[in-house]
Amino acid sequence: MNTRTMLGAMLTATLIAAAQPSFAEDVVIKVWSRADRSGPLRAGNIVAAADTLNKMLTAAGSDKHVKIELNETNAKGYDEDALDLLKAFAVDKGPDIFVLAHEWTGAFAQAGYAWNLEDHIKKNPELYDDIIPTLWQAVTYKGARYGVPQDSEVRMFFLNNEDMRKIGMSDSDIAALPAKVDAGQFTANDLCDLAGQVVQKGAAKYGILHRPNAGPDFQMLTESFGLVPYDKATAKLQASKVALRDFYTWVKYCIDKKALVADNTSMSWDAIEHASFTGDDVFAFFHGVWRVTDQMKGLNLKTKDEYFHRFTWINAPAGKKGGKPSNLSHPIAYAVSAKSKNKELAAYIVGLASQPYRNLQHAVTTNHTPINYGEQSMPELVANGWALVAATPMLKYASFMPNHPKIGQYNAIVFKGIQGVETGRLTAQAATDFVVDELENELGKDIEIRK
Amino acid sequence: MTIENARFGRAQARRQRANFALFLGPALLLLACFFLAPVIVDLGLAFTDMDRTLAVTTLTLDNFQRMTTRDTRLLASLGVTAIFVLCTLGIFNVTFALLLALTTTAVPRALGAFFRAVWLLPRMSPSVVYALLWLWVVDPNERGLLNQVLVHVLGMAPADLRNNHPLLVIILANGFIGASLGMIIFTSAIRSIPEHLFHAARADGAGALAIVRHIVFPALRWPISYMTIHQTLSLLVSFEYILLITGGGPFFDTTVFSLYAYRRAFENGQYAYGAALSLILIVIGVVAALGMWRLMDMRRLLQTPRIEVH
Repeated sequence: MNTRTMLGAMLTATLIAAAQPSFAEDVVIKVWSRADRSGPLRAGNIVAAADTLNKMLTAAGSDKHVKIELNETNAKGYDEDALDLLKAFAVDKGPDIFVLAHEWTGAFAQAGYAWNLEDHIKKNPELYDDIIPTLWQAVTYKGARYGVPQDSEVRMFFLNNEDMRKIGMSDSDIAALPAKVDAGQFTANDLCDLAGQVVQKGAAKYGILHRPNAGPDFQMLTESFGLVPYDKATAKLQASKVALRDFYTWVKYCIDKKALVADNTSMSWDAIEHASFTGDDVFAFFHGVWRVTDQMKGLNLKTKDEYFHRFTWINAPAGKKGGKPSNLSHPIAYAVSAKSKNKELAAYIVGLASQPYRNLQHAVTTNHTPINYGEQSMPELVANGWALVAATPMLKYASFMPNHPKIGQYNAIVFKGIQGVETGRLTAQAATDFVVDELENELGKDIEIRK
Repeated sequence: MTIENARFGRAQARRQRANFALFLGPALLLLACFFLAPVIVDLGLAFTDMDRTLAVTTLTLDNFQRMTTRDTRLLASLGVTAIFVLCTLGIFNVTFALLLALTTTAVPRALGAFFRAVWLLPRMSPSVVYALLWLWVVDPNERGLLNQVLVHVLGMAPADLRNNHPLLVIILANGFIGASLGMIIFTSAIRSIPEHLFHAARADGAGALAIVRHIVFPALRWPISYMTIHQTLSLLVSFEYILLITGGGPFFDTTVFSLYAYRRAFENGQYAYGAALSLILIVIGVVAALGMWRLMDMRRLLQTPRIEVH
């Protein structure tokens, strides 16, 4: 923590202490965070920040003591967690601080549960001015910031080099792949062809594996086929029938090529992780850069060189030759409850948790890209964050999910379409019709369907 | 005298009211809280726009309009429900339960008790454990129990029942549990048949099948009718094991109507629409119960017996 930050925090602590009569008092701050193996410090940093604050309070002679009550939920994904949290708020059981996937900011802001942090952020530049500006877009709803980015990431397809070697590809062929993807020469169909070959020649059991539930990963693929979910001009969600059909045609193509398996969506996360991180059973897995941690551990890889001998990263290839590949960055964020009696205090704790030292612990231990400029030059990141440094150029093709309150529903519907095609229940056209029907039914005036 | 009579009458009326409250009160309270109130709440919710924030902003008929004109999955889901209920009920909860009762009462008492206990095991294990076992049994990989048998013992290709025959999986999983209730009821009914009837039949030269047909079946008429009605209603609304084993999938293949309402309500927070869908289930439940009550002439079961049998 730099001196300016420390001084700011000390001043805050002193002010809080001075404003209250001095008798021993616990101020309880409730924190809601989904228990996530890929980010235990999201909640951990809040607890640590409260410790820091308590030390400051003691040093200032205050009897006040901040006590964090942590509720780590067991939802399968951030969408499910957000729905549970909305229910908790509705019955007045909401927390003071909560961790959310950034695209839910709009939903919580609209419902009046997320506090508008604009004033707080402006009043405390020493706490927030080092945060990388583009990340603020992810927590902005109708021009105001309702959250503080907690981390960022880069998503990608992890291709298993061993599987490619087994089918006779040379190391130079493999090394050329990322550039071919970026140039639009290697398309999504080519990826399926390759994955299918790997499976059919017995080099791997699975061609491509993806998450089993609805979530942000699929947006980078749908975008490759031209599905732009948000129209900035009308501030509405949108879907193009042609893009949907092209995308689902690709899913069907992958199934036919045996690149995708029919039961991917009924597999458990555990089974998918086991297959992806403990051997060469999976040719292509797509998720985010933080998975490097699991791959290193599962395959007992020690160095960057060992890692890149085993894996190649590519963006989501373009849908058509000459098209643009895509990528997605999906920040997780902290938000403060607008219903909290201790909003200011909670916001300061979030501010303290977002300082370079704390955030770096999360970044290097879980391979998430840091939120502050300052972290990028810290020795620990330079020494241990090679994966983050390597992934950063991929952000050139990255976009965020739109911060529309109903984007979670949108994603869930697109996912059901994927499930329908993968399991052989729907043709590409039927999936398109199903998704269009569902989008219109569920989202009503929030969606515009285009040709 | 008249005053005393009147006093006595009043006291008796008071006592009757007190007895009524004492004996029927708890049951009525239970019914009101857990059966009537949810129906009323559901009915109210169905006419609102309650979404994931649990906020009601307007009263509307939109849910019903969506249900009747725009919901493309509703009919398919009713179809899945019909297949699921008829097959589980017809094959397991009544027929197989009957077979279990007949066989376990025909063998020596201790052996019968042992087999009945085995069949009760799934009902005694927590649902999640039972569902996990099924997930392992039908796992499409070679580590699944079924595939271990198919591949290693029979030398066949591995099967993926959960994706290719999902309805079969949920019927089997529900049936194996459901059969035990019928088994217990039917066993007790068979046990209550006076022993001398069996002896007499045997003395008259009746074989095992004839005994079942002419002595056991007539005694099981009411238990079978009761089990059919009870299990139909129970299967209509139960989706616990389906949710745990297939999640209603693949896609919507095993989404029975109760699960459909649940998925609509809880997967995307459309609580009002889920409530409107549940109303259909309430109507189906009431119609099915009354229809079967009439069809099976259950009123006769509840009539006061004209003679006492000792």
